[in-house]
Amino acid sequence: MNLIKSTFTNAFKNIFRNKLINFLSFGIIAFTLLIFGIFNYLTYSLDVFIGDFSRNIEAIFYLKDDARQPEIENLITELEENLLVKKVTFKSKNQAEIDFSRRFPELEYALSEFKDSPSPFPASLEVTFRQENNIDIKISTLIKEVEKLSIIEGKEVNLDWAKQVTNIKKFISVVGFFLSLILIFISSFIIFNVIKLNIFFRKDEINIFRLVGAQDWYIRFPFIIEGALLGFVGSVVAGILLFAALKLFPAYAAFMFNIVKGMIDFEDIPFNIFIRLILLGTGIGLVSSFLSLRQHLKPSND
Amino acid sequence: MIEFYHVYKQYVKSQFALSDVSFSIEKGEFLFLTGASGAGKTTLLKLIFKEELPGKGQILIDSENTNLIPQKKLFKLRRKLGIVFQDFKLLNNRTIYENIAVPLLVRGIRRPTIDSSVNDALALVGLTHRKHYIPAHVSGGEQQRVAIARAIVANPKILLADEPTGNLDTELSIEIFKLFERINANGITVLIATHDDHLMQLFPRRVLKLDKGKLISH
Ligand SMILES: Nc1ncnc2c1ncn2[C@@H]1O[C@H](COP(=O)(O)OP(=O)(O)OP(=O)(O)O)[C@@H](O)[C@H]1O
Ligand SMILES: [Mg+2]
Repeated sequence: MNLIKSTFTNAFKNIFRNKLINFLSFGIIAFTLLIFGIFNYLTYSLDVFIGDFSRNIEAIFYLKDDARQPEIENLITELEENLLVKKVTFKSKNQAEIDFSRRFPELEYALSEFKDSPSPFPASLEVTFRQENNIDIKISTLIKEVEKLSIIEGKEVNLDWAKQVTNIKKFISVVGFFLSLILIFISSFIIFNVIKLNIFFRKDEINIFRLVGAQDWYIRFPFIIEGALLGFVGSVVAGILLFAALKLFPAYAAFMFNIVKGMIDFEDIPFNIFIRLILLGTGIGLVSSFLSLRQHLKPSND
Repeated sequence: MIEFYHVYKQYVKSQFALSDVSFSIEKGEFLFLTGASGAGKTTLLKLIFKEELPGKGQILIDSENTNLIPQKKLFKLRRKLGIVFQDFKLLNNRTIYENIAVPLLVRGIRRPTIDSSVNDALALVGLTHRKHYIPAHVSGGEQQRVAIARAIVANPKILLADEPTGNLDTELSIEIFKLFERINANGITVLIATHDDHLMQLFPRRVLKLDKGKLISH
């Protein structure tokens, strides 16, 4: 117990002994892990987004203002009888307006400008399709046919959206992966060299320790702890920065760009990301110091 | 306790630092290792604690052949020994107290025990008043006594001392030799490398004498 305690104290002391080098490496490691965390968070939230979006294939057909009620009802019945369709909901112009102001209460004032004129939102049919079978193509054909009808003004299909977001996500994951890889490599390289320097600085001490009967692990352990501590503290700093960034950025953006705050609020930051950050940071530290020791701390008789 | 069988040591080609050295030291003996500068005293001691390896020959410490001790077990050999190095090998980023505590720390001994052992060792070499100094801030003779305290603090079976009185005046040297005698009285084997003939006359003991790497009397 005493041995382990004194080893830890020594590791701490050594980190503070070589202040500049160590704080420089803290900075770079923290930066690396912050980048890793941000990409991790981005892919995570895009995943959630895509998940919400593509649970069902949905299409919204906007109706022309002059579309007549019987025509609309005909279309509804026709759609409801189609085997591909799960549900059809009609949304009137008024309903569209109410929905909008409920979602974005901040924009109430914009609506009030239209108070006397007819509602600016078109009436629409929201169609949810069945997705049991692999019938995307049939659904696409159906959507195209409906779109051609004279009472239809335009359409919006979440399928396209989901595909686009998926592509963006893939791109971000690839970029994030390679960026993280490079940064992890840089961090390892730094820790590797910090430990190498510390071994060099403490060469005499190591030699004396060996001569008075220290075991190999007693000499190695402080360096391993030092590496792990560098990585750990770096990752904790990165975690705090990431948390701050995700909490502060929405408020900042809302303030600076007059964007509706609710639109870019990062609701729940998954705790997982922090765990992953700390594991990665500590892991990098452990592995790099281990490799450095293997390279630079040869058994004596040299 | 210490046995050399036809030991040769060569640092550079065509020059033997030690040549065909054989002798045996019994447990509890107190003896001197002497010879001119460059005769091979330090080399002989280094072979005992395996900082150097013999080119040829066998060395047995406590009946164990040092050639056969693997790297991982070397600490066991070193823990049997207390070593006063010719160049002291003290750490200037630690106080004198901490320097003396190092052999106990690496053995995983508990703090209170370390504290009492270190204070005893400090008192034995008369350095209690210097315990919070760093070695660089005390005299050469005081540094030498720190080195001696560190060598004896962990109760070794064998004490090896390389010129332990090189920086001390005669009076203090005699004090230190008396200390070695007291340590020896506790059953510890003591081997002292020195070329101080006067001191060896004051403490008549068996003498191993080296000349250009050859053992000429033992
Ligand atoms: N690391 C080394 N590399 C090369 N030659 C060495 C080395 N160490 C010692 N020698 C040589 O080996 C011989 C014996 O040296 P050693 O240090 O054992 O002598 P010594 O008896 O301790 O001398 P001193 O009384 O000056 O301390 C000397 O000729 C020395 O130059
Ligand atoms: Mg010498």
